[in-house]
Amino acid sequence: MAAAALCWALRAARQVLPLPCPRQVRSYHVDWRMLRDVKRRKTAYEYADERLRINAIRKNSILPKELQEVADKEIAALPRDSCPVRIRNRCVLTSRPRGVKRRWRLSRIVFRHFADHAQMSGVQRAMW
Amino acid sequence: TSTVLSKDKDTSSASKDSTPEGAAKRPEDGAETPKQQLLDIIGNMKVEVSYRKKLQQLKASENKKQAVNKLEGLDSEASVSQGITEDTQRGKPLNPELVKAASAVASSLPRNKKQTESELLAQLRRHEETTDKQKKGGAVNIRNVISEMTIKRQSPAPRGGRMAGRISLQLDEDGQRLRRERSSAQSLDSRRYLSLKVGKRLNIFTKASTEPEHALKTVSSPTIWDLEFAKEVAAVTAQPPRNGFEEMIQWTKEGILWEFPIDNEVGMEDDAEFHEHIFLEKHLKGFPKEGPIRHFMELVICGLSKNPYLSVKQKVEHIEWFQKYFEEKKELLQEI
Repeated sequence: MAAAALCWALRAARQVLPLPCPRQVRSYHVDWRMLRDVKRRKTAYEYADERLRINAIRKNSILPKELQEVADKEIAALPRDSCPVRIRNRCVLTSRPRGVKRRWRLSRIVFRHFADHAQMSGVQRAMW
Repeated sequence: TSTVLSKDKDTSSASKDSTPEGAAKRPEDGAETPKQQLLDIIGNMKVEVSYRKKLQQLKASENKKQAVNKLEGLDSEASVSQGITEDTQRGKPLNPELVKAASAVASSLPRNKKQTESELLAQLRRHEETTDKQKKGGAVNIRNVISEMTIKRQSPAPRGGRMAGRISLQLDEDGQRLRRERSSAQSLDSRRYLSLKVGKRLNIFTKASTEPEHALKTVSSPTIWDLEFAKEVAAVTAQPPRNGFEEMIQWTKEGILWEFPIDNEVGMEDDAEFHEHIFLEKHLKGFPKEGPIRHFMELVICGLSKNPYLSVKQKVEHIEWFQKYFEEKKELLQEI
């Protein structure tokens, strides 16, 4: 158990770049939920083609129903993390699950923080 | 002597340009050896006059000889070069070989043959004179050196003060005043000191010799220490960027920033023609010709042909996956 936890901890802590770069570098995922989300995205990417093809067989009016039932069972047998529905668009900096704008991948609070400090290009306070 | 050398270089380069043309005109094997002779002689004559250089040339010519098997033309060349180096007297009649070479060059050139010949011979004579002088010990003519130097008449301090005064006055306005100041500075300089390109060459310094590269050292697989050293060097030399431009350059190298103007097809190398994308029926050969599966696969192909985002490889893989899938389910299908 401890070893597994250690493993996960090591995987969570990504390596820092050796070069002296002045920009901000996160050497970790903000929390475990973010890490799980990252895992889900990876597996969803790996199984995306297979899922698409099996679904093409399933959502069909031409092929026989027995074949479609077999396809149903097959897709259920795939790992649970491989379905894209489980992915949650979290905030990239704070891992907040709600209030995330898709374009910037940031939660509303972080977005406001950066916009007020003029660190968001082309973002201005609305006034009309 | 600089003018002499430059002229010689021009003529030799001109003759070199003409001789390949001449070679094109007479593509005979017999004419190649005198032409090669010519070229080698000219190559020998073209370089700066110094004893070290002459030795190097000799070595080079010897190497050339060893590399290429030639006839007595080369022996005559050797005698020619030897003749040049062994000659000590002044005003000695020119080597008959050189005369022959000069006449050949003159004949190959398109214009006044006699004039060019006489000019070349005169230059050869001057060459021999200079080689004699240099070989005698290279005694630098002090008179020549001193004649180039001019005596400073005014002390530099008040001049500097005057210039400073001028600068302080003229920095009030930009543009026109600054231009005037610059031109006045230039004229002052030209009055005080001679420009760099005017005057006789003193021949105190010899040109840096470009030694021929030695054979490439064969590198065995780089050791770990070499890799570590290389990494260290890279880490030390990679200074943080001084400004935004350098930062952007670094990002582009790393791949974070795209290259502008944006190329929409970066990383996408689809060399296939349009017909390979659209006409995919040839991939349907493994499927039964009738039945619902064929119907299904035809729909699949119709969809793939309209898909601009996949490469031909990916489409073929798609179809092959279906083929494999249906083969696995064959027993099931036969039950139905």
